[in-house]
Amino acid sequence: MNDALMQAMDDVFGRPEVWLIILASACYGIFVGAIPGLTATMAVALFVPIAYWLDPVSAIAAIVTMVACAIFAGDLPTVFLRIPGTPASAAYADEAYSLARKGEAQRLLGVALTCSVTGGVLGALVLMLLGSQLAKIARWFSVTEYFWLYLIGLCCAVLVAPGGARWKAMLSLILGLLLATVGLGAAHMEPRFTFGIASLYQGISFIPAMIGLFGLSEVFSNLSSTALQQKGTHHIGSNSLATTIRQAGSDWCSRMTNRKTGTTRSGLLGVLIGMLPGAGADIAAWVAFAAAKRGTEKETDQDLVDSIGDATTANSAALAGGWIPALVFGIPGDSVTAIVIGVLLMKNVTPGPAIFENQASLVYSIYLVFLLANLVMLPIGLLAIRVGGRVVRIPKRILLPLIVLFCITGSYALNGSLFDVATMLAMGLIGYGLSRHGFPLGPVVLGLVLGGPLEERLIQSLTAAAGNPLGLVDRPLAIVLACIAACVILGILRTSIRESHSTPAN
Amino acid sequence: MSPRVRPAVWLAVCLSVVGCRHGDQWPNRPITLVCPWSAGGGTDRVSRQIAVQLEAELGVPVNVVNATGGGGVTGHTRGATARPDGYTLTMATVELNMLHWRGLCPITPDSYRPLAMLNQDSAAIFVRSDAPWNSILDLQQALRDAKAPLPVSGSAIGSIWHLAFVGWLLDQDVPTGSANWISINGSAPSLQELLAGGVEVVCCSIPEAGALLTAGEVRCLGVMSDQRCPAAPDVPTFHEQKIAWSMGGWRGLVYPRGVPESRARKMETALLNVAGSEQFASFMETAGFHLDVADGASFGEFLSQADQAFGDILAQPAMQQRQSAPVGRYFVPGLLAIVATIVGGIGLVSNRGSRTTRREDESESSIDVRLLIGFVVLIALFIACCETVGYLTASAALLLSLLLMLRVRVLIAALIVLVTVPSLYQVFARALGVPLPWGWFGW
Repeated sequence: MNDALMQAMDDVFGRPEVWLIILASACYGIFVGAIPGLTATMAVALFVPIAYWLDPVSAIAAIVTMVACAIFAGDLPTVFLRIPGTPASAAYADEAYSLARKGEAQRLLGVALTCSVTGGVLGALVLMLLGSQLAKIARWFSVTEYFWLYLIGLCCAVLVAPGGARWKAMLSLILGLLLATVGLGAAHMEPRFTFGIASLYQGISFIPAMIGLFGLSEVFSNLSSTALQQKGTHHIGSNSLATTIRQAGSDWCSRMTNRKTGTTRSGLLGVLIGMLPGAGADIAAWVAFAAAKRGTEKETDQDLVDSIGDATTANSAALAGGWIPALVFGIPGDSVTAIVIGVLLMKNVTPGPAIFENQASLVYSIYLVFLLANLVMLPIGLLAIRVGGRVVRIPKRILLPLIVLFCITGSYALNGSLFDVATMLAMGLIGYGLSRHGFPLGPVVLGLVLGGPLEERLIQSLTAAAGNPLGLVDRPLAIVLACIAACVILGILRTSIRESHSTPAN
Repeated sequence: MSPRVRPAVWLAVCLSVVGCRHGDQWPNRPITLVCPWSAGGGTDRVSRQIAVQLEAELGVPVNVVNATGGGGVTGHTRGATARPDGYTLTMATVELNMLHWRGLCPITPDSYRPLAMLNQDSAAIFVRSDAPWNSILDLQQALRDAKAPLPVSGSAIGSIWHLAFVGWLLDQDVPTGSANWISINGSAPSLQELLAGGVEVVCCSIPEAGALLTAGEVRCLGVMSDQRCPAAPDVPTFHEQKIAWSMGGWRGLVYPRGVPESRARKMETALLNVAGSEQFASFMETAGFHLDVADGASFGEFLSQADQAFGDILAQPAMQQRQSAPVGRYFVPGLLAIVATIVGGIGLVSNRGSRTTRREDESESSIDVRLLIGFVVLIALFIACCETVGYLTASAALLLSLLLMLRVRVLIAALIVLVTVPSLYQVFARALGVPLPWGWFGW
């Protein structure tokens, strides 16, 4: 066993080319993640042809690093431009952007970076110590449990909404869920709301929708003569690199002392959610964000920064979680690990319980690579924050057309279809209308992401129970999750009723 | 021409020369390979391997585009309706034989010019390792005796694995009501459901269950073929167990109808070279896919035969009935609409008081409606023209008009366009391999 560990150490640390590959893929991951429309999955899929020529350890090192960096880099356009770079950043896009407009962009990104690193390291540690035990939990999840889990995820979107606007969050969520029903439903295999348009069969793809809802709508709302006079999107303090580092360091230290429970909770939530096939970094970010915001009635900026920190911890921790079922059963935890399994099979490595005995050194290498990738992200992420900060100094009348062009190219890039660009435009108008009337946009995206799977799981569970609704609560784990969902819903109702009693008094 | 503009003009000229490496040789620009399934799956892996080797064979980049959704409808439709200039290939899968019979899309094998068949994978039956059945005959008997329908899955309703399963039951006169097919999207989640105990039997191909099979988590009772699968040589076939039933999926490369025959023949030769190479064979072997190469003509014959066979099975009442859904397809949208009305009503009533105050600060940041309409119209124009005009021209025009609309000085606007549009194109089309539309000038 120790031999395997030593071998892994040698494989990872002892070879200069692995270091080079990690550095290069960190830059590549940051780059792809920061472009809205290109996801972490896309980054890995584009890398696959290169992976054929690498040995397993280098290939895995590259994939782990680029995904970790892409998920963090998704926060960069979120903070600067309110366009989530990857879906994992959509949960806190509104909050992060509003903080950035108050001049907190650099600090917020510093927190996001350190928290991503913390989350990644936490996730790696859990993967190392508890991986095979946790994998047994993932085995208990049948479609019914997924139904309840998705329902809890949806409730979180309503839970994070500021008091008084819960009904608006709920309506946004329902709009997202309704949009998700467009297309060829997976459960029925019959088209709905497609009006005979073939492109609508695939449904509304949520990445163009997300770019439109957040990015284009923000451009639209800036099209007033007063807003166009401003220099950039928001004020950025002209602090040096040293101050950014010092600030990030001190924020991290204060988080480590004051928010130990929050960090641990988000890390564990991230790993647990990431581990379940079909739930990934995006849902982890929502749930952790909701858990962090819960109970804070009047929130200060500091509270918001803390909640966003928790969410970034969770989405990075979820990445490690996705590897647990992939390594133990060969069942991918998310779309990235699906590709990883393909790459491993290419290299004559079959994931599954046997991998821990036959190729222990490779497993240890994966663990080490996870730690290394997250540490490398620190300096490269800091550089990216500095470079990103320059974007917002461009005068608005030049920046806005450029953002439009980026939104168009980004939404085209995913599927190479102009229909997606049209979707983006339509969602931009909807998003503009919604945010003008105070409806939050995040829940629309969550509804779009989870709507399809939620309905699918509901119908699968009902099919399995021959149409009897009691089939939704006939397994012990399902009952537990159903109770949690019921508690969350009751909690939302209670606070909403209390608020509606207190508003007229004001 | 002022000295400030001159370098920019030179830059533009240089970039357009770089973009226009026109030659008489075909192909001279990137080829798009449409994969109807998502990144990471089996078809995607085969597509990417083909792309890498085809790139070396033809000397131009080959980019894989995952046009997913609709159970294969999107990708197959897009491949068939693509411009027939030979620059769009499609990785067709068995669904091409099925979608049109189910009335989901008008695309049939006749919409395509077949180029090369790559592989065939037979369906197989999997159960948990602690299941009471030891052979396919045991399972068949259990299905006959079943009092309650046995939960079964493998993929969505109407997919190839569903068809293979029902076809086997029909072939052996087992009542189809003895199995309850649960529509789960994809074989990996179905196998997960098998482990979780949600279903008792899974029907999918051997490579899809590879890891779990090697690990001993699941057992394979039989392959629906007359020869054993090289990836799992211990698994008996259906034919060895006295059941003369074969069914499986295939993958192959096709062109849309109307591609000039000289180009189609050139591509066919290149593809057969790739498919026959040592490298491709070893790739398919490690991935566990059963290599079965055929040239365009025999692939076409195979397609029309298979199409007839699938039509017969899909016409069976067992496949026709919508046995699955206990609730209608408009149940969930209807429920959502009702909840939305209730929530909206409550919200409006409770918020009537605070409404007036909000309206005041809204008027402060009112936007210029003419600008908004201008932006929307310009983007819509871009969407309408991009495919014919080409990405570079269309996006340069869009960016320039947007900048001018916001009253940026003409020279600065032109400079910005000249710098950003070509560099954006380089990043997306060259570095990231996104096939941006080409259009009039070839770029």
